[in-house]
Amino acid sequence: MQIIISNSSKEPIYEQITNQVKSLILAGELQEGTALPSMRNLAKDLQISVITTKRAYEELEKAGFIYSIVGKGSFVAEQNLEVMREKKLKVIEEQLSAVITNSREIGLSLDELQQLMKILYEE
Amino acid sequence: MFNLIRRDVILQKRQLLIFIPFILFFIIMGAPPALIFLVASIFIPFNTYAYDEKVETNILLNSLPYTRMEIIASRYLGAIVYMILSIGVTSLALFAFNKPFTITDIAIGSGLFLLFAAFTFPLFHIFKPGYITTVVLISFILLTWIAPPIASFIAEHFTTITDFIVNLSIPALYTGATLVIIVGYVISWGITTVIYQRKAF
Amino acid sequence: MENVIELKNVTKKFKDFSVKNIDLQVQQGFVTGFIGANGAGKSTTIKMMMNLLKPDSGEIKLFGLDYKNHEKAIKERIGFVYDGNVFFEGMNLKDIKRIVAPAYKHWDDTLFYQYVEQFELPLNKAMKTFSKGMQMKASLAIALSHHAELIIMDEPTAGLDPIFRRELLALLQELMIEGNRTIFFSTHITTDLDRIADYISFMQSGELVFNQSIHDVAENYALVKGGLDLLDRDTEKAFVHVHRASTGFEALTDNIKAVQNTFGDSVVIERASLDDIMYYFKGGIHHV
Repeated sequence: MQIIISNSSKEPIYEQITNQVKSLILAGELQEGTALPSMRNLAKDLQISVITTKRAYEELEKAGFIYSIVGKGSFVAEQNLEVMREKKLKVIEEQLSAVITNSREIGLSLDELQQLMKILYEE
Repeated sequence: MFNLIRRDVILQKRQLLIFIPFILFFIIMGAPPALIFLVASIFIPFNTYAYDEKVETNILLNSLPYTRMEIIASRYLGAIVYMILSIGVTSLALFAFNKPFTITDIAIGSGLFLLFAAFTFPLFHIFKPGYITTVVLISFILLTWIAPPIASFIAEHFTTITDFIVNLSIPALYTGATLVIIVGYVISWGITTVIYQRKAF
Repeated sequence: MENVIELKNVTKKFKDFSVKNIDLQVQQGFVTGFIGANGAGKSTTIKMMMNLLKPDSGEIKLFGLDYKNHEKAIKERIGFVYDGNVFFEGMNLKDIKRIVAPAYKHWDDTLFYQYVEQFELPLNKAMKTFSKGMQMKASLAIALSHHAELIIMDEPTAGLDPIFRRELLALLQELMIEGNRTIFFSTHITTDLDRIADYISFMQSGELVFNQSIHDVAENYALVKGGLDLLDRDTEKAFVHVHRASTGFEALTDNIKAVQNTFGDSVVIERASLDDIMYYFKGGIHHV
């Protein structure tokens, strides 16, 4: 599991971990049922405190991305509807940013873009 | 507890090398056997105290799984153990040099040592580190200097006491002296324990 | 969750200094960093935890046990590292081990020699010839060789070079993989803590200011920067201490919400580092 932590980022470290694990799950790189490294091992490998990885795992669990079994560890959860929705949203976000980039390149304003979108959406 | 007593030997490996020549020196100088027994007995316990007056040593010992009571007990028991060993070694050395000595010499030497130890051990924990060696030296000199005049003063003025002592049978005198020494040693042990319990490091 | 160290209302008075009403719980399985300026009372507190010093009042428990009845059992489970060398200076590591090892029931010789090798420590050289870093490594090797559940360290990183400090932190993290271990250490090099501390205990002038998880610290305290005209008696209430300069003010707040409500976008709110927190608390104006 590849995770990169930035110490200069404004984003708290536990959030960096949750976001990256989420991306890995949404991208399908972490499959359902895959065991995640233990909190303590992950802390050691990332050279951060245990409480940080603990919090990251807790948030992931709350959001339904992973589940934990006492004494066994944490595993990637079955992707429920909400997760799927988030997965889709993520894809949409990516596609939209590509659209925005393209629009900017040809000087398309936000209003024009929104209008275009409206027409397409209502079609 | 045994570990604490054994520690002194490890701690003093090098000083122990001086121990034998040190005793031989006294023997060759023809010092009275009782004095040699005394000096030999003092050697290890007081060398230990030179280490133990340091704050660091006390921090170490008290951070290890020992109680303060045990630390002090190891001193008092250790002093007796090392006294017996020293007397053994000294006796052998005296034999080797063909110097005669009696059980009385050993009794006087060890008796004096125990009294001296009983008197000085508590002092080690009253005075600040650094002053202790001076205190012990001065008290040793004072004792040897003051004791004879006091003894003769008592002998002259309190004839009832001296008569009493002189009239005692030898066994009674020995038993009495032994009792006094044991009681003194135990009291000193108790006092040192109380002082040490209250110390901060 | 179990508390490995518990101080209840602990007070110790000296002639010119005292440690007052300390309530502190150290949780099992985590690293707690103990911070504060020199002379804040950290060493005194640690000495009381080790029973080198007895409190005038209050209660101290380790592993739920008190020193009065369980001194040996408690110390059996602690590994200690102090700022200065407490081992006999003239002795070599081998002899020191021969003195220390028999004191512990669970001494592990194999483990000790493993650390000696890992730290590249000479066994036959006198302790006093060791550099500060080597002395520290030697203390650590001894502290770690009896399977201690709690490791108490007083300024272990002081006087160490950055490379060894990093190595030490990595080693401590490795120790923490076993979930039942607890580390409590004082330091004033706060960057050490950013990496490994789970909880921060902060002492100031003999009092414990807070004992919080690093997340709570990050969420409770912030640096606020803005123009001097924003400050008045009311708005200042949200700050622990304000530092004024001709260019504007910089202040530490322990009430981020209030600051956001009062000042809105007119100020910059930033994460406060542990150094910032220590600095502004030192500045005075205590309020609850």
